[in-house]
Amino acid sequence: MRFSDEMLMAYADGELDLVARAEIEAAMAQDPKIAETIERHRALAARVQAGFSGVLEEPVPERLASLVAGPGTAPVVELASMRAVRDARAMLGGLRLPQWAALAATLAIGMFVGILLTRGPAAPYEETATGLVARGELEAALTTQLASAAGDTDVRIGISFRDREGDYCRTFQMHREAPLAGLACRSEDDWKLQVLATAPAREGELRPAAAMPMAVLHAIDAAIDGEPLDAAAESAARNAGWRKTPNVAE
Amino acid sequence: MSTPTPADEVRAALGELLPRLRRFARVITRNVPDADDLVQVAVEKALAHAAQWRPGSRLDSWMFGIMKNAWIDEIRARRRRERVHAPEEAGALVGDRSAESRDIALSVQSAMARLPEEQRMAIALVLVEGLSYKDAAETLSIPIGTLTSRLARGREALQRLLGDNGSSR
Repeated sequence: MRFSDEMLMAYADGELDLVARAEIEAAMAQDPKIAETIERHRALAARVQAGFSGVLEEPVPERLASLVAGPGTAPVVELASMRAVRDARAMLGGLRLPQWAALAATLAIGMFVGILLTRGPAAPYEETATGLVARGELEAALTTQLASAAGDTDVRIGISFRDREGDYCRTFQMHREAPLAGLACRSEDDWKLQVLATAPAREGELRPAAAMPMAVLHAIDAAIDGEPLDAAAESAARNAGWRKTPNVAE
Repeated sequence: MSTPTPADEVRAALGELLPRLRRFARVITRNVPDADDLVQVAVEKALAHAAQWRPGSRLDSWMFGIMKNAWIDEIRARRRRERVHAPEEAGALVGDRSAESRDIALSVQSAMARLPEEQRMAIALVLVEGLSYKDAAETLSIPIGTLTSRLARGREALQRLLGDNGSSR
C-alpha cells in the first residue's frame, strides 16, 4: 500500500486536504485494501463514539449543575420556597461581598435551602427573619469546639478569624448525606451562616478532605480582616464568649 | 443590571457543556466518581480563572485542557500516595480485570480503559469529542505529529482488544 496507516486514518477522520484526499480516492479504485482500511477506521471511530454516548443522556448530578447555575436559574431553587430564597438573598445583600462572591454564595444558600427542607426540624440550622443561623450540634461546635479538636463530633472547625466589623467568623465541615462546608459569623448570640456548600470529594479522591469549596474560600477572602486567629487567640475568643472586641491591643 | 463578568459568561456556557465534560472525564478517569470529581475540580478552576479564557475561542477545548492537567496532577498524587500505602491500594486499582479478561470481545469502555493514558486522551478528544487533530493537539499541548501517532497506536490497540482485525469484510 502506498499510503501509511496514519494517513488513511487521517482520511477517515476528515483531516486531509483536498490534494491528499484526491490521491487516496484515486488509489482506492486500484486497491480495495485502501478502502477496507479506511472503513475499518471509520467503524472503530463510530463504535468508540457510540460506546460513550450514553453519558450524554444521563442526568447531570446536582453538585455539578449547581456549580454553573446562574442566579435565578439554580435548579435547587425549585426545591425551596420562594420566601426562603428571598430571605437568603436579603441576608447576602447585607454582607457587601463583591458580586462574584455573592453569586457563589447565593448558589450555596440555594443548595442549603434544599437541604433544610429535606432535613426538617432535625436540621442543624434555622431560618430566621435575618437569615440562616446555626442550631443544634453545629451551633454547639461553633461555640465551644477548638480547631484542634479532632473528630468524635460530626463537625470539624477549620479556621477562626475576625471580619472587618470585628465579629468572629469560623469555617466548619460536617457530614450529612453529603459532606458540607461553610462559614458562620457571630451575630448577637447566634452564628449566622454566610455560606454553605457541598464539600469536595472524600479522602483519597481528587482533593484532600481538608479542602474547602471555592464558595467558602471566596467568602473568607471577602470577609477576613488580617490573619486567621492562632490557637491561643482562638481559645481566648471562645472563653470570652465570642464577644466582639473592637479594639484589641496586640 | 451590571455587565456580565468573564466568570458569568463562562458559567453560562459551561451549563450546556457539562454532559460533554462528564463524558470526557469518564473516558479519561475510567470510573464515575473520579469523573464527576474531575469535572467539579475543572469547573471550579475554570470559574476562578475565567479571565484567562479568550471569548470566541473554543470553551470545550479549554475545559478539556484544564481537565487533562488536573487529571495528570491527580495521577501523580496517587502514585506518590501508592508509594506510601502500596499494599491496600494496589488491590483497589487492579479492580475487576479478572472478570473482564475472560470475555473474548471486550466492551468499548473496558477496551478504552486498558489503553495508556496518553492514547486514551487522544482518542477521547478526537473520536469521542470530535475535535480536529489541530484542536486536540493544542488541548494536549503536543505537536500534531505526536497526536496522530498516539491516535494511530491507540486505535491499533483498540482493534486488537475489541477482537476485530478487519478481516471480516
